[in-house]
Amino acid sequence: MLTASIETNKVSKIYGKRAIIQDVTFRVNPGEVYALVGPNGAGKTSIIRLVTGLAFPTSGTVRLLGYDPHERPPIKHKLGAVVEAPAAFYPYMTGRGNLQLHAKLAGGVTQDRISEVLEMMGLTEAADRKVGVYSLGMRQRLGVASALLTKPEVLILDEPASGMDPLSLHLVHSVLQQSARDGTAVLLSTHHLDEVVAYCSRVAILEEGRIIDEVNLLDRRDRYRLKVSDAIKTQQILKSQPYIRHVSARSSDEVVFMLGQQDGLGQIAGIVSQAGIRIYEMGKDSFNLRSYYRERVEESRQERQEELEEVEA
Amino acid sequence: MIKLLNIELFKFLRLSSLRFSLLVLLFFPPLWAYAPGIFEKYNVYLVSAYQVAALSLSSSMVFLLPLLVAITSAELLGVEMQYHTLPTILLRPVTRSQWLLAKLVIIVLYPFVFLVLLFLVSLLVGGPLGYDSFVGGTGVGEAGLLGQGTMTPGSAITELLRAYLLAGYSLIPIGLLSLLFTIVFRNVAAGALATLSTLIVMQLLDVFAWLKPFLLSQQLSIYINYAQMNSKQIIIAFAAIGLYSAIFAVFSTVTFERRDF
Repeated sequence: MLTASIETNKVSKIYGKRAIIQDVTFRVNPGEVYALVGPNGAGKTSIIRLVTGLAFPTSGTVRLLGYDPHERPPIKHKLGAVVEAPAAFYPYMTGRGNLQLHAKLAGGVTQDRISEVLEMMGLTEAADRKVGVYSLGMRQRLGVASALLTKPEVLILDEPASGMDPLSLHLVHSVLQQSARDGTAVLLSTHHLDEVVAYCSRVAILEEGRIIDEVNLLDRRDRYRLKVSDAIKTQQILKSQPYIRHVSARSSDEVVFMLGQQDGLGQIAGIVSQAGIRIYEMGKDSFNLRSYYRERVEESRQERQEELEEVEA
Repeated sequence: MIKLLNIELFKFLRLSSLRFSLLVLLFFPPLWAYAPGIFEKYNVYLVSAYQVAALSLSSSMVFLLPLLVAITSAELLGVEMQYHTLPTILLRPVTRSQWLLAKLVIIVLYPFVFLVLLFLVSLLVGGPLGYDSFVGGTGVGEAGLLGQGTMTPGSAITELLRAYLLAGYSLIPIGLLSLLFTIVFRNVAAGALATLSTLIVMQLLDVFAWLKPFLLSQQLSIYINYAQMNSKQIIIAFAAIGLYSAIFAVFSTVTFERRDF
C-alpha cells in the first residue's frame, strides 16, 4: 500500500474535560489536495497543529510521510507549512531577510530559490521592505513562499487565503494546484468553499472537533444529470451500459450518473431516446459544496441536540 | 548549533529590553559616580575610578541588574510569542531542545557580557578620579570602601574582576528562572514578574537561619560577601547557584518539549 503523505488515526485532543478533537482519521496521498472545512472553532487549526507536530495528541497517531513528527524531527525537511493566519514573521526584518532566516534553519536552500519563491508569489518588488509594513495579503503570500522554500513533499496551510484580494487568492490557489500536480500532498483549512471545490481531491467537513463527512470531489466532478420523462426507466437503461460507473434516480424526472469512460457520453442521449423517453435537459451535475456543507453541519447540530435531549430525558 | 546561536544572537540584539538595559548601562555609572549625595550615603568620598566600578556593581545588584536580566531573558522567548513566530520556527527541522539550548546559552552569557560592559563604562566614567594607587578600598573587598591603607591598581582590578564574575554567575539562575516562567505563562510580563516575586518571597524567607544559605536571593550578594566567606560557605554558595541553574534549565527544557503551540 502506498505510504500516505499525511495520516491521522483516531486522533483526539482533550484540554481539561473538553475534547477539542475527537477520533479524527484521514489520509492524504501524494498529489492530493485535502481541505478541512468547518465553522469557526470546529477544530481545523487544532488538527493542523497536531499534524505538523506543534501540538501533542491526547490519543491516536499522526504520521508525516510514515513517521511521527515528534519522534523524527528531520522529517520536517520535507514539510512546508503555514500555521498562523496571517503568517507570522519578524516585523523588523525584510521579507527576503525572513526567508533567509528560514532557509538557514531548513538548510540546503539557495539564494536563487529564495528569489524564485518570492517571484512565484509576486513579492519580488516588496522583498526588501520590512515585513512590518506588509499588508495582510502580502504576509500571507510570504507565508506560502516560506512554505515552498524547500520544495516540500507535504504542504500544510491554515487559512492560506485569509485577507487576500481576488488576484492573490487566485495566485495562491494556482500555486497549490501546481504543487499537487508536481506530486506534493496538500492539506489546507479554508472557508473559501467555492475555490477549493474546483481543485481539491477531498474535503473533510468538521463540526465540534469531529469529521462529520468526507466528500470526494473527484467523483462529484465527473457527475452528470439528465432531466427526463421517466427517471426509473432511464436508470435501468443506463445501469446496463458498460461505460456507466454509477447511476441513481434523484427524483421521478431526474437521474444522475458517473462515467467510467468519457467516450460513452455521446451515446447516452441516443440510447435513452430510442427507449421512448423524452430528454428535457442534460449536463454536468455541478456540486454545490456550500449548500452541502451547510446541510451537513445543520444536520450534525440537530443530531447532537436530539442526543442531548435524550440524555436529559 | 552555531547556526542557531547566530540566529538567536541576531534576534537578541534587537530586543527592546536589551536596548533599554544598554541605555541604563551608559547613564547609570556617571550618575552614580558624581551623584551629590554619595558622601551622605557611604560616608566616604570616591577617590578612584575603581571605586566607581565597584559602586556601579553593588548598587545595581540590589535590584536593577536582577530586574534587567529577568526582563531580557523573558523577552528573548516572549518576543516569539508576541510575533507568533514560535510555531513557524518549530516547523523547521530543528528540535525543540536544540532551539531552546541556543536561547539558554544566550541567557547564561548575557549577565557576563552586560557586566563586562558595565565594568568598562564605569572605569571610563571614573577616569577623572584616576587609575593610580589610592588610599581606601574598592568596596567589594574585605575592608569595604575605607580599605586598609593603600591599594594598588593590580589588586583593585583583581578584586573588581572577581566581584563582577561572581555577580555574573549569581545572575544566571535569575535569567533561567525567568525563561522557565515565560514558558509556563507564555507571557513576558508574567515571566519577569513571577521571577521577581520569587526573589522577594525568598528574601522574606531569610528569617529562617538554616534556610538562608540555600536561598536564591541570598546568592545574589556572593560578589560582596566572598571575601568574608569560609571555604565551606563558598562551596555551598557555588553549588546552590549551579543547582538552581541546572534545575531551572532542565525544567524549562522539559516544559518546552511537552508544550502545545
